[in-house]
Amino acid sequence: MTTNLPPLQHTVSPVDSTLSQPLSPAEQRVVRRGERLSRRRLYTRRFLRNRGAVAGLVILILLVLFAVAGPLLTSYSYTDVDFTNLTAAPSSQHWFGTNGVGNDTFAQTVHGLQRSLIIGVVVSLLTTLIAAFVGAVAAYLGGTAEKAILGVVHFLLVVPSFLLLGLISQKAGGDWKVLILVLVMIGWTYGARVVYSLCTSLREREYVQAARFMGVGSLRIVLRHLVPNIGSLLIVSFTLGVVTTVQMETGLSFIGFGVKQPDVSLGSLLGDGANTITSAPWLFYFPATMLTLLTVSMALIGDGLRDALDPMSHSAGRA
Amino acid sequence: MGAALVLRYLLRKSLGWLLMIVVATNLTYFVANFFLDPRANYLQLRPPRTPEQISRSLAQYNLSRDTPLLDRWWHWVSGIVLHWDWGYSPVGESVNSQISFRIGVSAQLVMGSLILSTLIGISLAVYTAARQYRFADRFAQGVSIVTLNTPVVVASLAVVLLAIAFNQSVGSTVLFVAGAQSPTVSGFWPLLLDRVRHLILPTISLTVISYAGTHLLQRSLLLDNINSDYVRLARAKGLTRQRAIRRHALRTSLIPVAITVAFAIPALFTGAVITETIFAWQGMGQYFVQTISKNDVHGAVAVAAFGALMTAIGAILADIAVVALDPRVRVS
Repeated sequence: MTTNLPPLQHTVSPVDSTLSQPLSPAEQRVVRRGERLSRRRLYTRRFLRNRGAVAGLVILILLVLFAVAGPLLTSYSYTDVDFTNLTAAPSSQHWFGTNGVGNDTFAQTVHGLQRSLIIGVVVSLLTTLIAAFVGAVAAYLGGTAEKAILGVVHFLLVVPSFLLLGLISQKAGGDWKVLILVLVMIGWTYGARVVYSLCTSLREREYVQAARFMGVGSLRIVLRHLVPNIGSLLIVSFTLGVVTTVQMETGLSFIGFGVKQPDVSLGSLLGDGANTITSAPWLFYFPATMLTLLTVSMALIGDGLRDALDPMSHSAGRA
Repeated sequence: MGAALVLRYLLRKSLGWLLMIVVATNLTYFVANFFLDPRANYLQLRPPRTPEQISRSLAQYNLSRDTPLLDRWWHWVSGIVLHWDWGYSPVGESVNSQISFRIGVSAQLVMGSLILSTLIGISLAVYTAARQYRFADRFAQGVSIVTLNTPVVVASLAVVLLAIAFNQSVGSTVLFVAGAQSPTVSGFWPLLLDRVRHLILPTISLTVISYAGTHLLQRSLLLDNINSDYVRLARAKGLTRQRAIRRHALRTSLIPVAITVAFAIPALFTGAVITETIFAWQGMGQYFVQTISKNDVHGAVAVAAFGALMTAIGAILADIAVVALDPRVRVS
């Protein structure tokens, strides 16, 4: 199909940097004429070609800056109460307005964004690491260990995770650190299943066999040979995991099982704003905008990374 | 080859799932007993009850902490096995009657949006895959990425805001924002109309967040198949491009989508928690929130069992879909 043709390029660089075989001097000259790219530059170039991904990255950087620098811009903290302004519309004094108790919505939104970002990143990082390790170990060891780990994973997939989340975080009384722990405990199973399927084919590769016959220990093979080979998958699943986690945390906090007073997250802010959506819509607009920007930008970055890191990908054009 | 073999295969699978459900449910019973304390429900009552009084009240619902946990568990299990009695809440409501009423409410909500989002997703995918990289494709893809990643809370509340604005501009309440039906309506046709007017908004908000997954998946699968030999052969035989895509490319690429949709059913039933909370529907999702916040051990466990059952049904439906759609699959 003609529409599948990659866009025209100024520089022609047909050499894949992953094929780093020794070349004869004549060949090297040929290669030099075309630009030789390091792997990182190749990925960066492919990523930057994806307009959506770049837009997502810019939005994410702005959000992080906003979350970090936001508290410096306002004199209110998220727990401060202004009794002279209850449910006040946005004004020069309270940029995003105030809620029924008199909390400054700007300060609360900034704090909520920080919470949601921290929870999203930490949980997704931990679940990805655990999933990679457990899945790879199960695939590499085989036998009884494989059966046992898979049994646990499948069982945890059946157990209603949302219910467990609700039960435990309800008991914990809204501490965000406990929430992180619970989200990690429940979140790693699906990723571990995917990693396991991928590693069952990796474990038969020659370099893994070679390492095993050289006497390299199991743990070292898993960490140095299996896990790095699914690195691109892990990076993508980390970014998309942030989206899932933020959505999950929002949902839990919204129905009152996640982050609770006096702490706030974007989800609990939305939960408060939902009741006054017609009389005080600003309590909904600002947290909702931040939240949507966060999840959508992360998803765009994840899609861009997937295209950039996939060696078979044609969607990002040629290297 | 045929029906008997498929039936035996499904029966074996179902038995495996049944075992998983039983284990998961019993485990949830112990977890729920550990985390939920029904005594808390009696502590705020005036006049204050003594611990003995509370224990006696709870004992009639098999919830008293003075009875050993294993005894309570045995009583609970034998109630289910012998009488299909899932127990009572701390204030004496029957779990059975709650669940049987709420499944219907949830089903109205979930089935409509499931059918709608699948239809919209697949037809949008067929439309856009035939126009890859043109404006319509890019535009639909951009919209789908945004709606797919919009948090449920934001999407539902945005729908509420739009509906309120619409109602105000029309001048009367055409679309109801809360509840499943009005209490005062009677007669078959008025009741049906009333139901539909309540159903529209939650269905829209569930559809908006769930169609995009089907669209994006189906589109990329279609694009993988659209240039394959058998589609070209179909074109060479004289079929139009549209017909070749629908009859040949779509049929083969429908299988993974069918699996995903089947697996999405349980997630929809429990995932509608937020939608049901916002639109004040007394469905399973809302029951789940209520049982946990009111320390209703038996109710929470019943919700867990229902969720596990839905997962199993989804998995079995996925198996059936593969067998039905893919003639190459031989069950063994």
